[in-house]
Amino acid sequence: MSETYKRKVDTRVVVETPEGVDFQFVIAGPGTRAYAWFIDILLKFGILAVVGILLSVFGVFGDVGENFAQGFMLPAGFLMDWFYGSLFEFWMNGQTPGKRSAGLRVVRTNGTPIDLISAIGRNFLRTADMLPLFYTCGLISMLMTRRMQRLGDLVFDTMVIDERREWISRTGGLTANIEPLLRSECPRRYSVPERTLAVIERLFESDRMISDARREEIAKPLSEALRRRLGYQDPAPDPRNPHTFFRTQGFRHTQFILRVLKTFADDPGGSKATPQGSSDSKSAAARLENSRRVFAPLDESREVAKAAASFAPAAAPTSGDRA
Amino acid sequence: MNRERFIQDRRNDWQQFELLVSRLKSTRQSKWGNRDVATLSKLYRSICYDLSLVQSREWGARLEQYLNDLVAQGHNCLYRSPPQSIRAVWDFFAFGFPRLLRRRYKPFLLALTLFLVPLLASMWVGYARPELAELVAGKESIQQAVDSYGKQLYTDADTRYSSERSRMFGFYVNNNTGIAFKAFSLGVLVGIGTCVVLITNGISIGIIKGAILAEGNPTADNFFSFIISHGSFELTAIVIAGAGGLVLAQGMLMPGQRTRIDSLKFHGVESLQLALGAGGMLFVAAMLEGYFSPLPIPSIIKYVVGTLLWSLVVFYLTMSGRERPVE
Repeated sequence: MSETYKRKVDTRVVVETPEGVDFQFVIAGPGTRAYAWFIDILLKFGILAVVGILLSVFGVFGDVGENFAQGFMLPAGFLMDWFYGSLFEFWMNGQTPGKRSAGLRVVRTNGTPIDLISAIGRNFLRTADMLPLFYTCGLISMLMTRRMQRLGDLVFDTMVIDERREWISRTGGLTANIEPLLRSECPRRYSVPERTLAVIERLFESDRMISDARREEIAKPLSEALRRRLGYQDPAPDPRNPHTFFRTQGFRHTQFILRVLKTFADDPGGSKATPQGSSDSKSAAARLENSRRVFAPLDESREVAKAAASFAPAAAPTSGDRA
Repeated sequence: MNRERFIQDRRNDWQQFELLVSRLKSTRQSKWGNRDVATLSKLYRSICYDLSLVQSREWGARLEQYLNDLVAQGHNCLYRSPPQSIRAVWDFFAFGFPRLLRRRYKPFLLALTLFLVPLLASMWVGYARPELAELVAGKESIQQAVDSYGKQLYTDADTRYSSERSRMFGFYVNNNTGIAFKAFSLGVLVGIGTCVVLITNGISIGIIKGAILAEGNPTADNFFSFIISHGSFELTAIVIAGAGGLVLAQGMLMPGQRTRIDSLKFHGVESLQLALGAGGMLFVAAMLEGYFSPLPIPSIIKYVVGTLLWSLVVFYLTMSGRERPVE
């Protein structure tokens, strides 16, 4: 099962489900895991402090009560040391409170939920992973394994996955600050085929490293065809402040197709507002920033021209010499 | 079917699935309705199909990502680890654990040697060569141990010590079980840590024993009547946890025909079971050590009970869970 992965230099692992479908997990890195661990440590101390304060009531009974309280406190500390992680991971389906706050989950390497014995085992071996200092052994083991497993994960066949979803809606954070097209701006038609939207999406996909200038170039025939279809006219320059007109001219085709995407590409699952929206737009912006830096001459124009030609035969001469 | 038609056809199902999953996630599993579960599994399977269709036709990474997320959520909902029953825990301690130990007798014997040889050697050192013992363990700690058993401290019935029992119980659970689990988990680093834990514990126990033997009665009587009862469970369990660590080390060092990682996985679960069994025994030992061993009763009773407990442990580990021979 686990042998069916594709070799890639990223943190995704493909797992085949019992239904025969490959689906991807994003493996959590040491940083996120350290964050979750830190939250858990704080929580552990918090719980012990609360238990300690509650038990201090027994101090009223003098020595007997105090000793009883201590007799309870030490096993409580023991429980926190050795079973905090495993019991939470078992009851909360692979998550401790810290992991939940970081959006992580422990699963078996075949994608199925963790069972009790693996949960206990991987948390016991934390003792070995922590050696000699600051999880050095665990870190070395994570660096050497594709699924970034520490020793406890290796022995008990588990991995920690990152469940924060990168794309909440189809348009993601791409169109976060883009204004949608108004019905009044499009006198001819107010619809765009799904196929064209898919092409626009592809143009902005993160793994296609295209410079902004190149993207603008590719977007041009598509944008022109779309403008004809919708009957959209760029607003005339504002006579009182003509500079704004020239400032927006640089990437006007890119801007326009993004507006089209914003207006017509609704999420197939329903575009619900999600709490993670803000962080998503941030990561999408980071991706755009990244793509801006890297140049990769991909020939997108053929596909774009085909899409443009498919619904606007008038555009054929321009796209014809490209296709 | 083209992409547009496909999305239009399937959109309702996806939406329904998303709503259903978010609803089920917020309710407890025992309260899920039959209809909901049936719908969930039906929708899940059809969405799996959708995902593989989108993958094979390369209909856009975002659509694939979206369906991938749906599948992941459904997967989390549908596949859970089997619930653990109390019955399984009982079966493990009654039969599974002794059986496992008998099957893994080689690492057990090795761990026993690693613990017993230093213990006996240092006992002799503590008895016959006190100056050498002081070099190893430190003069103060030996003197402290000898003093604490010399004054009938633990067998006195006054309130201070009887109230202290709960505290000591907590301490024993924390300390001894911690040592045992550490001995197990350090096994993954080729077993060096396990050996160190076994040997150092053997030495420290042995030196104290030897020094107290040299002191003679009544110190020796106080001491041995104190430790004989819980020692049965405690010392055996430490050795078993060490054996668990050695099993892990065996997985790491001697993979045989398996790859090293497969071998670790293969030995991992059984070694953990050894350690957990040892943890259970140490819990019993802590109860005995906290509440029975310091009782102010004649030491002869303690020797009798202690002997019975030792034979109980031996009987439990060698006989429990044996199949009846077929006649």
